[in-house]
Amino acid sequence: MYELLEFSSRGVLLGVTYGLLAFPISLLFIATDTVDLAVGAYAVLAGAVAMFVGGSVNPAVGILTGILVGVLASAAIGSISLMLGRRQKGDPLVLVLASFGFAIFLESVVLTLFGKDPFIRQPFTYFWNIGGIRISPQAGVNVVVGLLLIAAVYVLLYRTSWGRDVRASANNERAALLAGIPVRALRFSAFMLAGLLAGIAGVLVLYTSGMDFASGMHLTLAGFGAAIVFGLHGPLRGFFGGLAIGVVETISAGYANGGLASLVPLLFIFLVLTLGRGGRQGPAGVRA
Amino acid sequence: MNSLLMRYRSVLVLIVVLTVVTMLIRANTVWLDTSVVIAIYSLIALSVGISYGQAGILSVAQAAFASVGAYATAIVTARYDLPAAVGLVLALLLPPLIAYPLARLVTRLNALSLAIATLVFGQAFDIILREGGDFTGGYIGLSGIPPLPFASGLLQFHFVAWGAVLIVAVLLSNLIDSPFGRATNTLRSDTLRAVADGVNVPHVRSAILAFSASVAGLGGWLYAHHIAYIGPDSLGPSVSLSVLLMAVVGGAQTVLGPIIGAALLTLLFKFIPSQEVQGMFYGGALIAVLVLTPNGLMGLRTVIGRWMKSSATKRERATANVATGVSAARRAS
Repeated sequence: MYELLEFSSRGVLLGVTYGLLAFPISLLFIATDTVDLAVGAYAVLAGAVAMFVGGSVNPAVGILTGILVGVLASAAIGSISLMLGRRQKGDPLVLVLASFGFAIFLESVVLTLFGKDPFIRQPFTYFWNIGGIRISPQAGVNVVVGLLLIAAVYVLLYRTSWGRDVRASANNERAALLAGIPVRALRFSAFMLAGLLAGIAGVLVLYTSGMDFASGMHLTLAGFGAAIVFGLHGPLRGFFGGLAIGVVETISAGYANGGLASLVPLLFIFLVLTLGRGGRQGPAGVRA
Repeated sequence: MNSLLMRYRSVLVLIVVLTVVTMLIRANTVWLDTSVVIAIYSLIALSVGISYGQAGILSVAQAAFASVGAYATAIVTARYDLPAAVGLVLALLLPPLIAYPLARLVTRLNALSLAIATLVFGQAFDIILREGGDFTGGYIGLSGIPPLPFASGLLQFHFVAWGAVLIVAVLLSNLIDSPFGRATNTLRSDTLRAVADGVNVPHVRSAILAFSASVAGLGGWLYAHHIAYIGPDSLGPSVSLSVLLMAVVGGAQTVLGPIIGAALLTLLFKFIPSQEVQGMFYGGALIAVLVLTPNGLMGLRTVIGRWMKSSATKRERATANVATGVSAARRAS
C-alpha cells in the first residue's frame, strides 16, 4: 500500500508535465482543428536550451531563453500553417504531415547542437516527508505551475474576447470572417501560445524526469493521450488526463517492466480512439 | 489496346528507363547497390503512394510495417533456418493482418484518428522491438540474415528488387483504373460523397491501408535479405518520414512519383555529410515541398502544361492580333 502511494505520488509528478503538454494540443485543436505533432519537440528544444544556457549563464536566464525558443519554434510552424492554409484549402492532414516533418527537423537540430546525452537538472537535494512518503519539492513546483496555467488558460479561453474569437473561428471559420474576426492572425497567436505552454512543460520535464534529443515524439504522444482521455474539447480535462496517464504509467513501471510501461500512454490513446470517443466529439479531418 | 497502353504507360516508361540504367551500371557494384536501395525505398514510398496518394490516409508508420516484414523474415530464416520464401509469405501477410484491424477499429469516420493510430502503432512497435529480448534481438537487432538463394549476386538482386517494384507498379496502375480505385479516390476528396455513392468507407480505407502495409512488408523483406541485418533503428520513424517525403516530392498520387522521389532523394542523400543533419534535411525538404509544390514533381507536369497552354494561347492571340492588324492595314490601304 505504502509502495503504491509512493508510485502514485511519482505518477502525479510525471502526470502534471503530461497534462501541461495536453494544453497546447487541445488548444491548437480548438483553435485550428488540427493536431501539431511537433509539440513534444518544442518541449525538448526548450528543455535543452534551458539546460545549456542555464548551465553557462544562470538558471533563470536559461529557463526564459528555453521558453522563448519554444515560442519561436511554434511561431515557425504557425507561419507554415498559414502558408499551407492558402494552398491546401485547409486540409488538416497536410499540417499534421508538415508538423511531423518539423518534429524530425527539430530533433535533428537538438541532436546536432546539444548531443546525445540526456538533459536533466535536479536542483533539489532534499525531500519532503509526508506521512512516510518521500516527495521531491519539484512535485510542488510542478503542481503549482500546472494549476496556475490551468487558471490562466481557462480565463484566456472563456473570459476574454481573444478566447471568444478563437472559439468562434474554430467553430465556423466563414462566419467568424464575416463577423470581422481576424481568423489567420488568431490562428497564428494560438500557435505561439501553444509554443509557450509546450516550452514551460519542457522546462518542467527537464527539472523532473529529464529527456534526450529523441524524447519529442514520446512527449507529443503522452500529451495527446492526456488530451483525449477525457475528450479533446477542453484544455482542463487534458490536465486530469495527464495525471491519470502519469499515475498508471509509474504504477506499471513499478510493478512491471520499465520499458514496457512506456506503452501505457499509447494503449490509453489507442483505447480512446477505438472506443470512438474522439470520433463522436468530431475531431478534425474529414467530416462525415 | 489504347486504353491498356494508357493504363500501363507508367510501367512501360519504368521498363524503358530500367533497361537503359541496367545496361549502364551492370558491371559497377557501387551503383548496383545504390540501385537496389532505391528499389527498396521505392517499394516503401509506393506504399505511401497507395495509402496517402490514393485514399488520403496519412500513415506515419510505413517504415514500421516494412520493419514487421523484415523482422518476420529475419526471425524465420536466421533463427529457424526456414527458406526465404516462408519469410516472404509472412512479410506479405503479417503487416496487413496488423493494418486492417488497426484501421478498422479506429477509422470509423475520420482520417485524423487513423493518422494518430499509425503513429501510436509505430511507437509501440519500436518499444516492443527493443524490449523483445532474444526473440527480436532487443536494442542490438538481428544479424546473419541469409541472402536470397536465387539472387546471391548484386545484379540478380537488382533484377529481383526492381521486378518487385514493377509488379507493385502494375497492381497500382490496375487499382487506379478500377472501380475500387475510383471509390478510393472519391473517399480521398470527399468522404460524404463517397458514403452517398454507397462506398463502405471503413472497409475501403482499411483495405487500402492493408494493401499498402503489404507492399511495405515486401520492401522490408528485400531490405533484410539485402543488408543481412535488421535492428530497431534500421526502419524507424525517420525512415517513415523519408518515405513520406519521397512520395510527396515525386507526387504521391501517381505511379511513377514515389519511384522518382525515392531515386532522387537516395542520390541526394549520398551527399549529406553526417547522420545528425539528416533529419534537418528531410524535415525541411518535406515542409518546403508541401508549401511550394503540394502535388510533387509529377504535379509540375500539370503546372508546366498549364503554363505552356496559356503561353500558346497568348502566342495564338498575338498572331491573330497581328493577322487582324495586317488585314486591317490592307483594307485601309
